[in-house]
Amino acid sequence: MTETTETTAPEIRLINDIAVQFPHQERDAAATAIATHIRMFWEPRMRAELTKLRDQEPEAFEPLALAAAKLLE
Amino acid sequence: MGLLKEHDLGTPAKPGPATVTVEIDGVPVTVPEGTSVMRAAAESGTDIPKLCATDSLDAFGSCRLCLVEIDGRKGTPASCTTPVTDGMRVSTQTPKLEKLRQGVMELYISDHPLDCLTCAANGDCELQDMSGVVGLRQVRYGYEGENHLDAPKDTSNPYFDFDASKCIVCSRCVRACGEVQGTFALTIEGRGFDSKVSASAGELFMDSECVSCGACVQACPTATLQERSVVDLGMPTRSVLTTCAYCGVGCSFKAELRGDELVRMVPYKEGGANEGHSCVKGRFAFGYATHPDRKLNPMIRERVTDEWREVDWETAIAYTAEKFRAIQEKHGAGSIGGITSSRCTNEEVYVVQKLVRAAFGNNNVDTCARVCHSPTGYGLKQTFGTSAGTQDFRSVAEADVIVVIGANPTDGHPVFASRMKRRLREGAKLIVIDPRRIDLVRSPHVEAAHHLQLAPGTNVAVVNSIAHVVVTEGLVDRSFVDQRCEDFDTWAEFIAQPEYSPESTESITGVPAAQLRAAAREYAKAGNGAIYYGLGVTEHSQGSTMVMGMANLAMATGNIGREGVGVNPLRGQNNVQGSCDMGSFPHELSGYRHVSDDAVREVFETLWDRPIGAEPGLRIPNMFDAAVEGSFRGLFVQGEDIAQSDPNTQHVNAALSALDLLVVQDLFLNETAKFAHVFLPGTSFLEKDGTFTNAERRINRVRPVMTPKTGKHEWQVACEIAEAMGYPMDYDHPREIMAEIAAVTPTFAGVSFDKLDELGSVQWPCNDAAPEGTPVMHVDGFVRGKGKFVPTPFVATRERSTRRYPLILTTGRILSQYNVGAQTRRTANIAWHKEDVLEIHPHDAEERGISDGDEVTMASRVGTTSLRATISDRMPVGVVYTTFHYPATGANVVTTENSDWATNCPEYKVTAVQVGLKPGGVTAEAAAEETPALAD
Amino acid sequence: MTTVYVPRDSAAVSVGADDVASAINRATGDDVTVVRNGSRGMLWLEPFVEVETPRGRVGYGPVSASAVDELLANGLLTGDDHPLCHGPVEELPWMKDQQRLCFARVGVTDPFSTTAYEEHGGLVGLRRALELEPAAVIAEVTESGLRGRGGAGFPAGIKWKTVLETEGPLKFICCNADEGDSGTFADRMLMEGDPFCLIEGMTIAAHAVGASEGYLYIRSEYPDAVAALRRAIDIAYSQGWLGENILGSGLRFDLFVRVGAGAYICGEETSMLESLEGKRGMVRSKPPIPAITGLFGKPTVVNNVLTLASVPKILADGGAAYSALGVERSRGTQVFQLAGNIARGGVFETAFGISLGELINGYGGGTLSGRPVRAVQVGGPLGSYLPADRFDLPMDYEAFAGADAMLGHGGIVVFDDTVDMSAMARFAMEFCAEESCGKCTPCRVGSVRGVEVIDKITGGEDPDGNLALLNDLCELMTEGSLCAMGSLTPNPVRSALDHFPDDFTARATRTEKEAE
Repeated sequence: MTETTETTAPEIRLINDIAVQFPHQERDAAATAIATHIRMFWEPRMRAELTKLRDQEPEAFEPLALAAAKLLE
Repeated sequence: MGLLKEHDLGTPAKPGPATVTVEIDGVPVTVPEGTSVMRAAAESGTDIPKLCATDSLDAFGSCRLCLVEIDGRKGTPASCTTPVTDGMRVSTQTPKLEKLRQGVMELYISDHPLDCLTCAANGDCELQDMSGVVGLRQVRYGYEGENHLDAPKDTSNPYFDFDASKCIVCSRCVRACGEVQGTFALTIEGRGFDSKVSASAGELFMDSECVSCGACVQACPTATLQERSVVDLGMPTRSVLTTCAYCGVGCSFKAELRGDELVRMVPYKEGGANEGHSCVKGRFAFGYATHPDRKLNPMIRERVTDEWREVDWETAIAYTAEKFRAIQEKHGAGSIGGITSSRCTNEEVYVVQKLVRAAFGNNNVDTCARVCHSPTGYGLKQTFGTSAGTQDFRSVAEADVIVVIGANPTDGHPVFASRMKRRLREGAKLIVIDPRRIDLVRSPHVEAAHHLQLAPGTNVAVVNSIAHVVVTEGLVDRSFVDQRCEDFDTWAEFIAQPEYSPESTESITGVPAAQLRAAAREYAKAGNGAIYYGLGVTEHSQGSTMVMGMANLAMATGNIGREGVGVNPLRGQNNVQGSCDMGSFPHELSGYRHVSDDAVREVFETLWDRPIGAEPGLRIPNMFDAAVEGSFRGLFVQGEDIAQSDPNTQHVNAALSALDLLVVQDLFLNETAKFAHVFLPGTSFLEKDGTFTNAERRINRVRPVMTPKTGKHEWQVACEIAEAMGYPMDYDHPREIMAEIAAVTPTFAGVSFDKLDELGSVQWPCNDAAPEGTPVMHVDGFVRGKGKFVPTPFVATRERSTRRYPLILTTGRILSQYNVGAQTRRTANIAWHKEDVLEIHPHDAEERGISDGDEVTMASRVGTTSLRATISDRMPVGVVYTTFHYPATGANVVTTENSDWATNCPEYKVTAVQVGLKPGGVTAEAAAEETPALAD
Repeated sequence: MTTVYVPRDSAAVSVGADDVASAINRATGDDVTVVRNGSRGMLWLEPFVEVETPRGRVGYGPVSASAVDELLANGLLTGDDHPLCHGPVEELPWMKDQQRLCFARVGVTDPFSTTAYEEHGGLVGLRRALELEPAAVIAEVTESGLRGRGGAGFPAGIKWKTVLETEGPLKFICCNADEGDSGTFADRMLMEGDPFCLIEGMTIAAHAVGASEGYLYIRSEYPDAVAALRRAIDIAYSQGWLGENILGSGLRFDLFVRVGAGAYICGEETSMLESLEGKRGMVRSKPPIPAITGLFGKPTVVNNVLTLASVPKILADGGAAYSALGVERSRGTQVFQLAGNIARGGVFETAFGISLGELINGYGGGTLSGRPVRAVQVGGPLGSYLPADRFDLPMDYEAFAGADAMLGHGGIVVFDDTVDMSAMARFAMEFCAEESCGKCTPCRVGSVRGVEVIDKITGGEDPDGNLALLNDLCELMTEGSLCAMGSLTPNPVRSALDHFPDDFTARATRTEKEAE
């Protein structure tokens, strides 16, 4: 599994890394928290790339990451 | 200023409210109870002659020069070991005492070389001074008696000599090594007249346990232990008070010069961080500042394959500005950015982030703290409300239980480690949480009560289990939690889940449940429990989670808001704290205020007359990603070697190679400069004028010892680039930069150079509410109001050992070297550490046929490097360890892109690797055979 | 059944007691029991063999192994007369005139027999102490007037009271058995001859001050004493005399033996504590005093062997009985040790107040050489030399201090008229140079210079100037040294100079005359 991450787009890797940290919250709250975190700390072009990737290859996203990505404009 | 001589009061201060009044030679003086007669006399203006006493060491009573007479007492007690009692009447000068003191000096001089006029300590020798003070006029014993004049001289240490013929056996060096440094490398060997100072068991200093901290040299009253620089250059004539530029302890030093030549660095007693102590780096390893490798002229080149071309400053600055603007015109305002350095002053950092935000017009500024303590920033901000250690260093003296997590203070923060060890020797309990058996686990007179030797990457599981024990065994400080914190119940419910019991996490962490429970109880039940941590906490994919986990634990046990407790990051570089404070993070303006805050932005926009973006900029790893992808094309790097220090070298190199313009400002042509188009020579700390902020938020002055060898201060360079880009930044002096910082940053509102000169240093917050600064934070309330409990789920790193990469690599540092070694490798410190080695457990080595000293390869899924192996059982089976002080080691060739989920701080501490004998490499056996040939 | 006693004391063994015991065992059958007792302290009679008879114990000595068969053949087992027979031991003037409180059982019993110990008054003191409150125990000791027998003569009761009143969860009793003074051996004889007595004394002290651990610091030159104490401690534990719940009282006290490494200075109490802590034996400055900040920084009683061994009897008979003996502020008995050039050397325990001359000429029988006594050194190598005309001095701390001398540990070393007192003065400085811990300057450097200056004086080099310098040096060492080692070294030097000035100049004068 670790062998494949290099080919993943960084934005997907990063949001997936964030998403796995929220197993203790219920799904909607977690998705909101993740989206807020990304708004706080991600530069706009990364967010744009993320939303683009969300639409292009949603299967690469962890489910919770995808839910959070959908909350981003 | 001339040479600054500090008044030595003879014995340490005795703290305490109770006082007594005594009369010294008829002069009344009131001093704290327990004060020695000697110190009371010194405070009343009478310096009693002394040789074995010095106020950094406990009274010893051996030289017998300080004898006094006390009304109503028989005999002539030593004033250093006699405490004052109320109403005591002391005579320090009587004919009887005069005769006794002359008698003592007569004995000393009967066994001392009479070479004062040619001695290196001439003019700085207490023996010489005392001969004068007591009026010694003759030595009736003659000089032909038994003596030590032929005692050997030990010149094994590169920085100081030990000339036993000049030793008066006062034991100050031995005591300093024990009491101040805590190493206990020195002892007195032999008895009576044969007593002599001995390093370890009669070894050379270099072969002994000596760590070359210089405490013995500092303590020596004669020329017995003498800096070689004083022998070579002569006695200094003037002092400049300044701050060390190595680790985050931030020691104060007197730079002592002879004319314009720096002779030695002497730790300053009044220094708040170090109180007169030092380590081998700060005390001795300053030679890099004048090393011939230093580049003193700006250089440019079109392509990195071209030769460097030296140019004048004007050309270099114009070239830089023009190129940056051209990139922006073509690729947009956000296509360039800057990285500030944690080794530069607050003022230098501030102008670089201002250059980026105001002149570049974006928020693409980050700092090298990204790769070390950014999780501290995130974690402590979330829980306490601000990104800073809670205590001052002095606080450790009040701790009852000290928890050291993922830090190796005796190597990384040696001067603080000495303060910590002093407290441990007094009886405080120590809990070490570290995969490696660091020196603190067991060293002279210090032994950890618990060493939780966890598997790398399982910090959060361990801290959660400790908290689990606290919550489920009823060890919570309810009144603290109720009054001072919020969200406790949710957190308590979370942490009490069976999955976080020590019994459940044992299989993940490798820490026996019983041991963990014992450690948890020890911490929770301590009167004062203090947590100190390092990069072993932050440099993980859950670094931020772990910081919050520690904050939760401290709050749950009420260990916040007073002396002796707290959560304290040990900062790696001298100004990590300051560079973060100055607004170097892409999402924050100075004082940790988010760029989305309109009110905050408005303050800056008004003052700077430029709009500030409300969106965060790129972080360092994002910059690399964007560079590879093509949207980021120009970078200004202030004093940091990202090519060597950042993880996944291959990826970093690809990013740097993709840039259209890379500007590097540094002392040396470092690894990063290989990719640069503009090289701007930087200034060493000896040339800088400004401030550093250490790990305890202490703002210390850095004063120039010499004018910039490059002809320009670094802050001037940043200002001139801004100006050339069309945004004038006018300052005549760094004090004006600090004035601006104070104007825009509430926590710095009361800081000014004048105040620093007056008080020596201040700890922020320093403002109207705390005009003299804040040693301990969160005393009455947290910065964010209430302390916030944040649930911290343990999510294992993606990095796992596999059949292909079965070992886990973790990294650290060593005492004599510093960071990427750019400075220390250019000093005699290489005598202690010539190369980085791979520590590997005997079991793992045996399996691979590796012997001690063999050259081995180390491969991860991203790269391969080679280095020499050292067999060591400090690491558990399955874990290997190395340092990254030498570029050749390429430790970061193997580290991966994994990073902390919240801050992208790289996961340096966990990399799955395989290690094997290097094909065609030099084995230890072969090297041994070659040695004789190399010896000549 | 006949019981024969052959001492196991190392002084007796050194002159063949083991061989004598073997010879008796070989030559006799099951009807004869050989008991290895301590020594009676009449060292000129060792090996001193005793046999139990209806008349009491009859003594023979000195007995060699080769004489055993002949003695047995001539009625040793029945106490028959013989040139080596001294008759009933208790009737000997040497024994009869003593007041053996501390040494009551030494030489009488088998040191490892618990029944013999109890039959001869052992444990009475401890049992009584355990019935008393700690403060009441200390009151008895204070009333007894017992002073430290190590030399300094500090009242034991006051020291114990300080330790009792210093709060602390952990306190120690340390017995200083680093008996290094020249001419002293009483500690050793007690440890070899009656170790339970010392253990009992330490246990009483532990109860009195609230200590739970004790350490016996014994010099390595005393291997037999080390072995004796270790064996006795093991037995004491097995009897419930040490460990938890001692004699059912609830008192817990653990006792350990630590062996020194041969430094005289470790007989100084603070050096001994350093050594016990595993450090270099180096003097600590006082304050703080060990009673408050002692071993490992805890409140600690440090007492000499004889001090602690005197305690059981004090508790058994009451402080008043003990204090009834002695003179002035020197109460009770002292175990004097006669050594050097003396006809009858050994230990003699008696009440303070006996004169020096009575001990030396009376019981000691004058010099072994038969020549007149010229000088005596009392109190070890740092004690003053006294000329024969001071034999009137009573054995009393204050009387000795008044004569610029000291009683010390009660050791008396006798010299006849062939002694060169300048050599003895030089030896004092040399001894100090050899044994100084090296911490303070007057002692470390001064002692070496002292030897050199005395050599200059006796060599005729500027005698007046060097005598003045020696005087200054002595003053500096006395006034300026950190501990007793350096500050007492001038005692023998100055007393030699005062009483025997000619010895220092005679050689110089001789040299001058030869030059003419």
